[in-house]
Amino acid sequence: MKSRTARILAGLAALVIAAVIWLPCLHLVFTRSLSDFRQNQGLSPKARQLAARHLQLWTDPARREQELKKMRASNAEWDFMGRSYLVWSLANMALRDPASKPLYLRTMDQIIDETLRLEKQEGMYFFLMSYAKERHYLVQPAHSLFLDGEIALMLASRRVVEEKPEYKSLLTERVNAIVERFQKSPRMLLESYPDECWMFDHCVALDAIKMADYLDGSDHSALIRAWLAMAKQKLVHRDSGLLVSSFTTDGTPLAGPEGSSIWMVAHSLQLLDEDFARDQYQRARKELGEITLGFGYAHEWLESWKGEANIDSGPIIPGFEISAGSSGMAFIGASTFDDGKFLTSLAATLDFAGFPSRTRGRLKYCASNQVGDAALLYAATLGPLWQKVKTGGKP
Amino acid sequence: MIKLFWQRLGLFRQAEFLSAKDLLQRAGAISVLFLLAHLAGLREFTSVLNGTIGSVAAGWKLSGFLALIYILLYLAFVILVPVLLLAALFLTAGRHFLCKNDSSPREQ
Repeated sequence: MKSRTARILAGLAALVIAAVIWLPCLHLVFTRSLSDFRQNQGLSPKARQLAARHLQLWTDPARREQELKKMRASNAEWDFMGRSYLVWSLANMALRDPASKPLYLRTMDQIIDETLRLEKQEGMYFFLMSYAKERHYLVQPAHSLFLDGEIALMLASRRVVEEKPEYKSLLTERVNAIVERFQKSPRMLLESYPDECWMFDHCVALDAIKMADYLDGSDHSALIRAWLAMAKQKLVHRDSGLLVSSFTTDGTPLAGPEGSSIWMVAHSLQLLDEDFARDQYQRARKELGEITLGFGYAHEWLESWKGEANIDSGPIIPGFEISAGSSGMAFIGASTFDDGKFLTSLAATLDFAGFPSRTRGRLKYCASNQVGDAALLYAATLGPLWQKVKTGGKP
Repeated sequence: MIKLFWQRLGLFRQAEFLSAKDLLQRAGAISVLFLLAHLAGLREFTSVLNGTIGSVAAGWKLSGFLALIYILLYLAFVILVPVLLLAALFLTAGRHFLCKNDSSPREQ
């Protein structure tokens, strides 16, 4: 009896010691150098592998249909955003890897043309969640800034890489329509859903306007300045200093700062107001970013403004409060602001808990989906597009 | 004949609870189960982690169930199996150390 008890105690002690040794080392199995995910010049191995899988989807309609079906079963927006992130990624990739530019431009055009065709054929609700139909948009005729902003940024990104005359008028029309609505709106707040406005969509739309200015010589700098001044004054959460994520057309917040939104917002702001963008990133990093035992992740909600798990956050893992949506988007923030430590630890988590699957040089993350992987690809490639517009080199 | 081989090997004889052999058997069992789940393609169903259905044909409930099985086996494989192996190593090393100490006086 005594020896049995001693054996069990010895076994338990061995297990505890082993756990104390193994758990802090676990991240070393999954941690790679930063250049594996993102490089200052050219394309990183991960970017190439992720891109190869996306390019395959756009040459294999059956496979694409299967992927889109799975995403649309949860959220029609993801179908649309997967297109946007892929086009923006390909624009950056074309600037990083000129030898492959023809292939990237061909794919960008294919995506843009198909998206415009679907928008025209099926109407804007095709890419929106079903609740968009439950109420009327306050401003008629109905427009969603979510769609208009991202489509405009797709068109602009393509044109920054290489001019395409057919897209010039399409971009001008879309940008003029957005600008007109901004000017008519008493508070410069435009709907993405009925009386529901999103910070993410406003920043993306303003990026598109800024890029249209760069491409076509127009000047909307006063509008952009006025909007930023309004946002800093009226749409900042007082406790955290972070921009709120959604609000009504009269500026009443619907949801506070959200991880699934703020990282992209900080990235978008970089084109509009570098200092404000960096400030937002640093605040988000402090409030929402975490590194535990070498693994990086992000929360969806602030301590001071809690909310429920939703379609954007994905399921939130209790205890650590890890949000898949926020953690995925945190790659974009960390990559934009060269936060190597956070980016490396996020990449370690991705390889640990994202369930990578590689087939003939093509990479996908099983725990993600097409839009998630496209956002990761964007994080791995972003930079040159913003740089070209900011430095004002000739289009 | 095959049964005799496995018996001789002694791998599947019931080991004493929390002995080094017991820990190795548990590590082996988890590894085999994870390998089977992996080969069965359950990894694809982990997309439920971001709110995307694993398979439209399988539906939400089955996709979620298969994802849960895979995730638990995966976590057991990457976290628990190395802990079990390390613990077995410590126990074996400890036993050798004790045996050596016990035999030392007789050698003198």
